Amino acid sequence: MSALLQVFAREARLAWAGGGGAAGPAAFFLACISIVPLAVGPQAERLVAMGPGIAAIAALLAVVQTAERLFADDASDGTLELYVLMPVSPALLALAKVLGQAAATLAPLPFIAMVGGVMFGLDFAQSALVGLALLCALPALALIAGFAGALAAGVKRGGLLIALIAIPMMIPALIFASGAGRAALEGEWDRAWATVLLTLAVSLGTMALMPFGIAAAMRARTG
Amino acid sequence: MLSYFSNPQRFDQLARIAIPVCGFGGLVLAVIGVYISFFASPPDYQQGDTVRIMYVHVPAAYMASAIYAGMAVASFIFFVWRHSLADAAADVMAPIGAIFTALALATGSLWGKPMWGTWWEWDARMTSVLVMLLIYLGYIALRGAIEDRQLAARMAAILAMIGVINLVIVRFSVEWWSSLHQPASIIRMDGPTIDGSQLTPLFLMMGAYTLLTAWLVFYRLRSRALVQRARSIQSRREREGM
Repeated sequence: MSALLQVFAREARLAWAGGGGAAGPAAFFLACISIVPLAVGPQAERLVAMGPGIAAIAALLAVVQTAERLFADDASDGTLELYVLMPVSPALLALAKVLGQAAATLAPLPFIAMVGGVMFGLDFAQSALVGLALLCALPALALIAGFAGALAAGVKRGGLLIALIAIPMMIPALIFASGAGRAALEGEWDRAWATVLLTLAVSLGTMALMPFGIAAAMRARTG
Repeated sequence: MLSYFSNPQRFDQLARIAIPVCGFGGLVLAVIGVYISFFASPPDYQQGDTVRIMYVHVPAAYMASAIYAGMAVASFIFFVWRHSLADAAADVMAPIGAIFTALALATGSLWGKPMWGTWWEWDARMTSVLVMLLIYLGYIALRGAIEDRQLAARMAAILAMIGVINLVIVRFSVEWWSSLHQPASIIRMDGPTIDGSQLTPLFLMMGAYTLLTAWLVFYRLRSRALVQRARSIQSRREREGM
């Protein structure tokens, strides 16, 4: 148990090591949201309708950016091999590792999404729901990105490859997270809550399954 | 059975028989199927002659899923029993499956324009086929990017297996997503409503596609095996020559 906590803390520390690297995804997320009105035009009704979807897409892209560094360094310096040799389930280790980095780098995203929601013209309750739905989707997004990162670790300039593998897998989380916000926009709060719960279900299902995929990729590397 | 044919020599014997049988059978079925599809079957009472696109489109869509299933099974066999032939089969199948997926999308789009008046409709079925194409591309890219062949094989196998679960979940979520705002899907293709005169060419074409795919897979597998043997002979010669 303590080993898992240490892996979790190590990932969080690593994310913060070397300056403001951990703020990268948050800044990227903010930049993504900010350029949308500049591209599609400042009409209020159009921006309101797009708000929840934009938040989900920007979050997806921001999470994909974090995936490359998650496993590449540990694969090249042999840390992954030590992890596999540890008397702890590699699946649990993978879960702790991914969630450690996610907690350090992705935590601000729901808050930025709430602010972004207000900027796109949603009211406070709708914006809060967009943030909540995003919070529920983040574990799934982080684990899928981690899986793609584990598969592609060691590939030179693997960022694009990781994105190509991860994005189709993230579609369910994307659909439900943005669907919740859209339901709230239409005033259908029952459906919005139900969709938030569905988003959470996708995340929990991913947390149950994906660590085994990541562990398999870690083991395959060590032969 | 699996272990029996994982022996390269036995596989070679099998492939020598399977290549001409599948190739010739597929060709015959394709010729008869194309003839019946385009000349000897009646036009649809609603769709007229555009229904003939179905005989090219539906088998392609079916091959796209069937090849992915085959790829996943081969990956599982490779992952559990480490038969390198199963890995080679998955490797060989991936581009064929991607091409059939692209073909299904293209012919579906060509069919959609006269039928619904639009090239593309964000409907659940079409969207999940599009996602499947992306998954095929990701698989091919991953295999191509990892230099160590053994590692590439293992990683690709893991991706193909996880991809099956993923495809199912994507299917359901896309279904849910498209049911939100569209009253009912405009695409209806329930099996029993197809007339018998249309089923014959459809099944013929499906058989033709399947056999031609089997021919391609066996052909490419055998060529790979031959290339490998030629390489090992060459490297042995070079070592002895020194």
